[in-house]
Amino acid sequence: MLNQSLVAEVLGRVMRGGADFAELYLERTKNHVIEYVGGKIERIDANLLSGVGIRAFCGLRSVSASTTDISRAGLLACAAQVGDACAEFAAAINAPADIILTERRFGDIHPVMIVPGDAQTGRKIELLRTGCTAAKEHDGRISQVKGYLLDVDHQILVANSDGLFCEDRQIRTRMAVTAVASKDGENQSGTCSPGRRMGLEVFDLFDPVEIGRHAAAQAITNLGAGYCPAGVMPVAIENGFGGVIFHEACGHSLEATSVAVGASQFAGKLGQKIAGDKVTAIDDGTIPNAWGSINIDDEGTPAQRNVLIENGVLKSYMIDKLNGRRMGMASTGNARRQGYSYEPTSRMTNTFIDNGPDRNEDIIASIEYGLYAKEMGGGSVNPATGAFNFAVREGYIIRNGKICEPVRGASLIGTGSEIIQNIDMVGQNLDRGQGMCGSSSGSIPTDVGQPLIRVSQITVGGR
Amino acid sequence: MEFEALKQALIDAAAQAGIAQYEIYYMETAESSATTFQHELKGVSSARSGGICFRCIVGGKMGYASTELLEADEMVELVSRAATAATMIENDDKVFIWGGSPTYRSPEAAKPMAEMPTLTKSALALAEAAYAADARVTDGTEATAVTEEVTIHLVNSTGLELSNHVAVNAAVLEAIVSEDEEKQVAFDIAASLDAENLNALAAKTVGNACAMLGAGGIETGKYNIVFSAKQARSILSTFSSVFSSKNAQQGLSLLAGKEGEVIAAPCVTIVDDPAHPAANAHTHFDAEGVATARKNVIEAGVLKTLLYNLQTAAKAGVETTGNASKGSYASPVGISPYCFCLEAGEHNLDNLLAQAGDGIYVTEMKGFHAGADAVTGDFSIECAGFRIEGGKLGGPLKSFTVAGNFFSLLKEIAAVADNVEVGFSGGFTCFGAPAILVPGMSVAGK
Repeated sequence: MLNQSLVAEVLGRVMRGGADFAELYLERTKNHVIEYVGGKIERIDANLLSGVGIRAFCGLRSVSASTTDISRAGLLACAAQVGDACAEFAAAINAPADIILTERRFGDIHPVMIVPGDAQTGRKIELLRTGCTAAKEHDGRISQVKGYLLDVDHQILVANSDGLFCEDRQIRTRMAVTAVASKDGENQSGTCSPGRRMGLEVFDLFDPVEIGRHAAAQAITNLGAGYCPAGVMPVAIENGFGGVIFHEACGHSLEATSVAVGASQFAGKLGQKIAGDKVTAIDDGTIPNAWGSINIDDEGTPAQRNVLIENGVLKSYMIDKLNGRRMGMASTGNARRQGYSYEPTSRMTNTFIDNGPDRNEDIIASIEYGLYAKEMGGGSVNPATGAFNFAVREGYIIRNGKICEPVRGASLIGTGSEIIQNIDMVGQNLDRGQGMCGSSSGSIPTDVGQPLIRVSQITVGGR
Repeated sequence: MEFEALKQALIDAAAQAGIAQYEIYYMETAESSATTFQHELKGVSSARSGGICFRCIVGGKMGYASTELLEADEMVELVSRAATAATMIENDDKVFIWGGSPTYRSPEAAKPMAEMPTLTKSALALAEAAYAADARVTDGTEATAVTEEVTIHLVNSTGLELSNHVAVNAAVLEAIVSEDEEKQVAFDIAASLDAENLNALAAKTVGNACAMLGAGGIETGKYNIVFSAKQARSILSTFSSVFSSKNAQQGLSLLAGKEGEVIAAPCVTIVDDPAHPAANAHTHFDAEGVATARKNVIEAGVLKTLLYNLQTAAKAGVETTGNASKGSYASPVGISPYCFCLEAGEHNLDNLLAQAGDGIYVTEMKGFHAGADAVTGDFSIECAGFRIEGGKLGGPLKSFTVAGNFFSLLKEIAAVADNVEVGFSGGFTCFGAPAILVPGMSVAGK
């Protein structure tokens, strides 16, 4: 994407300002979106992102700049901007030194059989139409169907003053179908949006017809549902995207972004028991073709499998280079950024609660009265207080150990450090769901996951 | 390449390809910031990004393509990609390239961007002011000073050429306070780096965080709720998409077909004003080049108009309201409000609390992106706030939800306060509202 000698020159220019570390991140990303609304292709968009982010460390301080001008002059101007700003922080100006770069190749553990690209537009339209049509035809009460097929071809180059020079190409494909069901002036919606770090062969795994039907069935279920009752009760949260509970209640608070500055509820708790005995939680960027997987992170560190919590005991945080300096700990391969104009920081990849000892049927049977949260929506957390929330997209009342009528409009709230201790049953059907996670370094693809779990007590926001 | 050269390259490429109707939309954003940790600078950054979108009408359909690679060869590719995309569009709605409005407001002169030394000095001053405001302010507190400059050029095949240039300086404070084992956080933004404003921002944000220390829970039940001005505008912002004619035409808004009908309580008037003095960025033309204008959206409870762009207005047989928008240069033309504001009522806040009698004053709501559904209007949101006892503010409350439905809420607003606050926004869309009283809402707590 850029030749090594130019990159070395740019990094050398940054270092002259007195920085002790310099890094260049170059991005070229092709986003293709096809949008379908009400039986017709509404929009086809091809967007090319291109730019560079340059960053330097002066001890615990960072200086960064980004630009879309990737000419030699543009790169050197950006480097000079960073280098000169470093001079404000640094103890001394560095003597000019040659940066020796060594190319490293990490290999690709995420094979892609059909690269989506421009040439596949006709095929993509048909896949999307198939999914959306299946949603519309599922039930006469489906009044509207919207869908999109997104594919991203994200190429990056990461080089730094330690001599690293590496590249990666990340291809992801996702289809989302949203169905709206209407009756008597009331609307309800359902959605299904699987994705993988794969090409169009992802639709051999996920039949577009099933994606559409799933969205439609959820809308119909909610159309007949009453409001979820409010109060504190036990909740069984289903696998897949249900893992958003760990992502919000705990995951963000284990990112070095909040741990390093002491803002996390879990700072200083390594080795301590923070969760129920049955909880083992893992962040694994190495799962082949998973939505949140990477070969290397956005600082060029190879992806890792990190056990965050083992049988309730805190084992590891998720760490990037800069926050690692503040913590005196090495990177765990979790530095991520949306693109060149964002500074990287520690983020999740594929984060999930591992299978536990309980049979799924025993979990449901154990609840006399509570909520079965079959599908979850998104959520948010404040890592400092641990206060989190997330939405239930499809829920049912559990009565006398049996799943009964559907209920809608529920949210679950609590404090991460408390809720994670209230996870007292962990089932055996681990699966993952796909999301886009938003934080200070932008919006990035992440998987959440878990098997069916029971939370003994949680506040259910209903009415 | 500079914009003028890119523009010429695109005009030439369009002529070469035989494309007669097209629009070039260029947006560039420059942002610089300085951030603190404890009493020192943690980092500084400068980001320059932006790109160009070319859209064109081929065979009656609009095709889009966009890029950040601002080179001559890529401009030829861009025209080709947009033209190809147009051939695959199936939507039959009539599409437009705007010939220009009769008049436009004069663009305002952009404020000067703060230089990096001003940003670092302001961030440090804000951090100092925060730590000085209360002894309970603790590590993790982060002060940021930021400046953002946006340049937009819209040029089309009718000869229309429009430009806008806006700059915003802002101070951002996330204050963390701790007492015993408890932590509370408050966050606020002020669109100024003046010393006086930094001190006021620090005092207000730290004060808000401290006020929440010792917060308890509340029993599940029905309560009279007073939403603070900030939270009333969060609700308005979350559900603003229901006022989009595009969503209405696509069956995604329950306001479809309701123009002229009563949809809210008589005390509710909502105005969309692109020149609102409290908004920190203004535009005199929308994302299609149409002149922007003030309009009443709800007047004394009656829905006067939805928000339109050229395409949805033609479909509905009305005039555009000039609300075509683009989130970024690459976004398709959508619909957004400008300064969308619930107008002041006649009560002061104390009076509103007195009317509530016993209930909850909600000052924090989180997770709207997940806990609210604009298609149904339903919401169930994590909240914090204060007890209202005998018409007066009581102790702080946390970890409860308030659930309801936006369309019902509009009709159930019993009183509107006079303390309108307009929120900060980086783009051209912002929201304003005063505090509102809504009786008998569902609360889940202890």
